[in-house]
Amino acid sequence: MNSITFIGRRLLQIVPVLIGISLVSFFLIMMIPGDPVRIVLGPRATEAAVAAMRQEWGLDRPIWAQYLSYVGNTLTGDLGQSLKFRVPVLDLVLQYLPRTMFLVAYVLVLSLPATILMAVIAARNEGRWPDQLIRVISILGMTIPVFWLGVLFARYFGVKLGWFPVSGYGEGFVDHLHHLFLPAVSTSLWLAPLLTRNLRAALIEQTEADYVAASRAKGLPEGYIFRRHILRNSVLPTLNLLGVMIAFLIGGSVVVEIVYAVPGLGALMVGSVLGRDYFVIQGLTLVYAIATVAITLAIDIFTAAIDPRTSE
Amino acid sequence: MSLVSVQGLSVTFASDKGPVAAVRNVSFDLNPGEILGIVGESGSGKSVTCRALLGLLPRRATVGGRILYDGRDLAGAAAIQAVRGREISMIFQNPASHLDPLMTIGDHVAEPLRFHFGLSAAEARAEALKLLESVRIRDAAARMDAWPHQLSGGMKQRVLIASALACKPRLLLADEPTTALDVTVQAGILQLLRDLNRESGLTMALVSHDLGVIAEICDRVIVMRGGEVIEAGLVRDVVTNPQHEYTRLLIGAQPGRLPQMAEPQEAPAGLFELKDVAVHFPTRSGGMVRAVDGVNLSIHKGECFGIVGESGSGKSTVARTIVRLITPTGGRVMFEGKSVGDLAGADLTAYRRAVQMVFQSPFDSLNPRMTAQQTIAEPIWRHGLASKSAAMARALQLMDMVELPRSFATRRPRALSGGQCQRVGIARALALSPRLLIADEVTSALDVTVQAQILRLLTRLRKERDLTVIYISHDLTVVRKFCDRVAVFQGGRLVETGATADLFASPSTGYTRDLIAAAPDMDQAMAERA
Repeated sequence: MNSITFIGRRLLQIVPVLIGISLVSFFLIMMIPGDPVRIVLGPRATEAAVAAMRQEWGLDRPIWAQYLSYVGNTLTGDLGQSLKFRVPVLDLVLQYLPRTMFLVAYVLVLSLPATILMAVIAARNEGRWPDQLIRVISILGMTIPVFWLGVLFARYFGVKLGWFPVSGYGEGFVDHLHHLFLPAVSTSLWLAPLLTRNLRAALIEQTEADYVAASRAKGLPEGYIFRRHILRNSVLPTLNLLGVMIAFLIGGSVVVEIVYAVPGLGALMVGSVLGRDYFVIQGLTLVYAIATVAITLAIDIFTAAIDPRTSE
Repeated sequence: MSLVSVQGLSVTFASDKGPVAAVRNVSFDLNPGEILGIVGESGSGKSVTCRALLGLLPRRATVGGRILYDGRDLAGAAAIQAVRGREISMIFQNPASHLDPLMTIGDHVAEPLRFHFGLSAAEARAEALKLLESVRIRDAAARMDAWPHQLSGGMKQRVLIASALACKPRLLLADEPTTALDVTVQAGILQLLRDLNRESGLTMALVSHDLGVIAEICDRVIVMRGGEVIEAGLVRDVVTNPQHEYTRLLIGAQPGRLPQMAEPQEAPAGLFELKDVAVHFPTRSGGMVRAVDGVNLSIHKGECFGIVGESGSGKSTVARTIVRLITPTGGRVMFEGKSVGDLAGADLTAYRRAVQMVFQSPFDSLNPRMTAQQTIAEPIWRHGLASKSAAMARALQLMDMVELPRSFATRRPRALSGGQCQRVGIARALALSPRLLIADEVTSALDVTVQAQILRLLTRLRKERDLTVIYISHDLTVVRKFCDRVAVFQGGRLVETGATADLFASPSTGYTRDLIAAAPDMDQAMAERA
């Protein structure tokens, strides 16, 4: 099977997932205790006013009709209005999303080279001191809570030394890099060790593989065998873990965004939950779910590009 | 002058329990243009010796002694690296795992050319194509960009040979190159190796557990046991006049030399009837795999029925259908006049007791956490035939029956050898006093001397317990000695069936003839070479 039919089939598989996501995010709002109209209009609104609003919002229609118009609206980019900001949810999401995406990309740019470097050093020196040292650093990185590290970094590098701003997002690309440096580093400090351990284990396993012995018997140089054969066969499991972690980062940037006051999706989510801004919560849920699906798809396609066996 | 001279080679592995000597004081010479066979059973050190020549042993191995190649001492990593691929190359037992799954077969062959001869990508590719053609890969041009998983086992081994021979080495080390392949494919690979030796004077060391293979293509042979060379000489001399007692044992255990164990019955009574049995599996791409199609068979009470075929022939699927692990998609299996598919409840339980199976891999088919005695006792008390303590006592009797010393009762599979594990598997199958025993490639993972013992054991048990046995195997020579009647399968279909002696004497289909001709047999090979 060629790669185009593989991607096509993989895209088709997403359709039922998307329908599921839309159902969940639709019924999420139905589960809220109390009447949304009452929440908006307040407890002292008259029955007539409530009834008028119900009709205006279409809440008197059967549930399947409501669902269909929800799907229709979503497809045309209408995610409703924020109750708090009085602006379309889509505008809010589009305003906050790039900041989180920037942060995630920043984290990846910092983590991935470090991961590959550390994993390769550790694997090639299995059991010797560089491996032990990297193991200790990794365990420290994974066990120190991000929020605690965040507070520590903000106080020391931000307040005491004054090297980095301790809040905000800044203006322009370089300024973004400057503002988001501490949040990105604190996140990378647990992500990189996690990926490193995964990749190191795969590298060590592949070093023992039979095709490595066959390559040696052909007289190929060790460095080439490592780059062309071992490394390539080892990245696949780590790539899958990376996909899960990116999806997690998009949804899980809450802590670091709050600690460093970065106005991203995480901060928006917390604000909406505290302010009972239901339509924003619903919109964000949809965005998170779609982001996860998109990343999984991207990783699958990427895996298929490396490994010819997966697209059969 | 000899091409390679191995002098006092020793290899020791560091382990938790101290150093283990895998090879001790091994010396031999390889003359230019000859094919030297290195034969031995598992643990004899034959593969380790072979790998030591190319420095392919793991880091925890310590190598002593000298290896001279063309007068040069191969001491140290640099000296070995200088000959790898260019002077000495190697092929391995399992071609699938020795090819990088993420590299096309063309690149596998082109790779050493680029490194050793500095060819450009295009030049290396053109050369690789010629090499693939020279190892007789059909339609090589179209397969240059194929991935290893798209090729059959035999084709993979040919790719491995092409990539090993890319830089025209003078010596090829072949470590069990045909063991993982079907017999007809094995015959093709052996023919290729013989032609390479004759046409380009390629020197070879062929490591094998199979004296039949060695006898077919080797000039000289060294026999190894327990890390030492116990006998060496011309193949003819060693086979006809073995000096060492172990060599005699090894030769006597060759399937072709085994005594005739089959005893065709006078008046057979039917036990099983397969009527138009078909097993089809749907594939992911919407197609249908016809694993078994239109099979009609009858199996007689008390006979030993052989099922032979190559991989993918459907022989194991038939066995699984009989034990009802697989429900046939068409046709019926009849047991004493009743349809097995319709059995339910107590009848089904009784049927499961009556039909027992022994599996190919002796280790994998035993629970690693259970002792031999527990393993054998389990089916007895699980079926509620006895209390747990009575079952444990019965297990000891079963151990006697399969000639397993009672002192092994508390051992777990890891502390048992392959042959001992297989005896446990047989005892477990006999625990429920079955009427039919299905033995699925039960000796193919074992050494020949152990295989001979297990076959003798099964023959004795058959007589003593009036067992009907279905013996599934890829090894025609064993089947010829062991089975009363035989069925030949190919691609899910029954090709032919008949009394063993008749079928071997006058096979009625071309496929059976090919299969019989391809089966390596030591005596036959010697006779043909004389």
